[in-house]
Amino acid sequence: MADLFWASMTELARMVATKAVSPVEVVRVHLDRIATLDRDLRSYITVCDEAALAAARAAEADLMSGHGVGPLHGVPYALKDLYDTAGVRTTGGSRILGDRVPEADATVTRRLAQAGAILIGKLNMVEFAYGPEGLNPHYGHARNPWDRAVHRMAGGSSSGSGVAVAAGLAPGSLGSDTGGSIRIPSSLCGITGLKPTYGRVSRAGVLPLAWSMDHVGPMTRSAADCALMLRAMAGYDAADASTSVLPVPDFGASLTGDIKGLRVGLLRSFFLDGATPEVRATVETAARVLASAGAVVDEVNLESMPHVGGASLAIVGSEALAYHAERLRTRAGDFDPDVARRLRAGAYITGVNYVRGQQVRALVRDEVDRALARRDVLLAPSTPIPAPPIDARQVELGDGPSDVRTALVRFNRPFNLSGHPSCSVPGGFTAAGLPVGMQFVGRPFDEATVLRAADAWQRLSDFHTRHPVLG
Amino acid sequence: MNDDANDLETLRIGARLAGFTLTDAEVEEIRPMVMAGMRALHALETAPVAEVEPTTHYRTV
Repeated sequence: MADLFWASMTELARMVATKAVSPVEVVRVHLDRIATLDRDLRSYITVCDEAALAAARAAEADLMSGHGVGPLHGVPYALKDLYDTAGVRTTGGSRILGDRVPEADATVTRRLAQAGAILIGKLNMVEFAYGPEGLNPHYGHARNPWDRAVHRMAGGSSSGSGVAVAAGLAPGSLGSDTGGSIRIPSSLCGITGLKPTYGRVSRAGVLPLAWSMDHVGPMTRSAADCALMLRAMAGYDAADASTSVLPVPDFGASLTGDIKGLRVGLLRSFFLDGATPEVRATVETAARVLASAGAVVDEVNLESMPHVGGASLAIVGSEALAYHAERLRTRAGDFDPDVARRLRAGAYITGVNYVRGQQVRALVRDEVDRALARRDVLLAPSTPIPAPPIDARQVELGDGPSDVRTALVRFNRPFNLSGHPSCSVPGGFTAAGLPVGMQFVGRPFDEATVLRAADAWQRLSDFHTRHPVLG
Repeated sequence: MNDDANDLETLRIGARLAGFTLTDAEVEEIRPMVMAGMRALHALETAPVAEVEPTTHYRTV
């Protein structure tokens, strides 16, 4: 099949199951594309060539012998390099852990393998997931594939996860999201990324940034593929006390395309008002398209948003420093200097600051809950800007100037604080051809409705089917 | 840490209390970030949370 590397995970699973294509061929096509393009894109830290081909041959043998196959049988994917993988180094994007080889898989790594998925590599990321631009001085800055002339940010911290999926170097990947690290690269790279509800997916075996804010989730090229991956990953895990005992639904069953009567709250102040005019117009147009398909759209404002930045800083800064303190004392010179500075700044956050952050967290959570009591989903831009050049430091937003880092996390952190599920999808493109992301936010543990809205949007638009021109 | 945390000595002491020994150059490097952070943290005091109990447990069901 031509361009097999652009096939979705759903299509690949079906083709493998019906023996229309061999898992060996599928894996080889992706490995070849990595070999051709990734010297420039720098989306992978480790490529698992031999292990992936061996797994593909085993998958093919299982299929031929009539053994039962899982929902992702023979489908390749890649992991942000902070998921533990038995026998495969897991660096966290750092030099410090450059030779760390875990003895056991993370829970989600194991669950995806049980579903039949084949790991083809470990993906580039911001060191220890602490930064939204997607830069990494140790393994190279992952390159946004949508601009061949200007080196633009991929977004982070799951930079490689965004680039690899956008460029056809993996049909799906996993990222992690503490302040937008799934949704920011999804927005900047033009793919679909889901931050599930806090507690929906196990974090066991995933290097933490800030335990109470970390979420792990899929990054793919469609809502349907996110649904497929989430079903295989989610659910209670005794190794992660934060996971829920709620049953995991068949998320794919909710993707009906029907949004008649779906109540959508368009987030105006702080969100649309803070976006650049081009991003704002893109999301407003999308809202009109949804309304024309039967959704009931109104506008909603969240008053607590101005306090989100301080609360996030208090919580993430404290928890991140607590986790890295010993390394920072003994191996400071081996950190990315920018990450070391951010961690050190956490030393000045007091216990009172931290508690105040947790109070604001309750405030934000309750306000988002109230907004969703009368609506099914909220809609907002994922980022206020499209991908900036990697040396950009300041941007002009709809409500004034901002540094790039603050701009990138601004629309994402509220839902890390609150724990609500959020899915970023391509909402359109700028005149310059850069993707614009927008996010659907839903009630706790109602990823089904979030994915239903995202999938319906993708049936009404074709932005998620566009690919960058490469090679 | 309060608004007076803008001189190197205060920042150095703060770091030492957290278990870090920083050089003058290292303190100077983080000063702008710490100052910006202080402003954000002080702004938290204006949040209407006097009667709000902080989240202390995972919201798992």
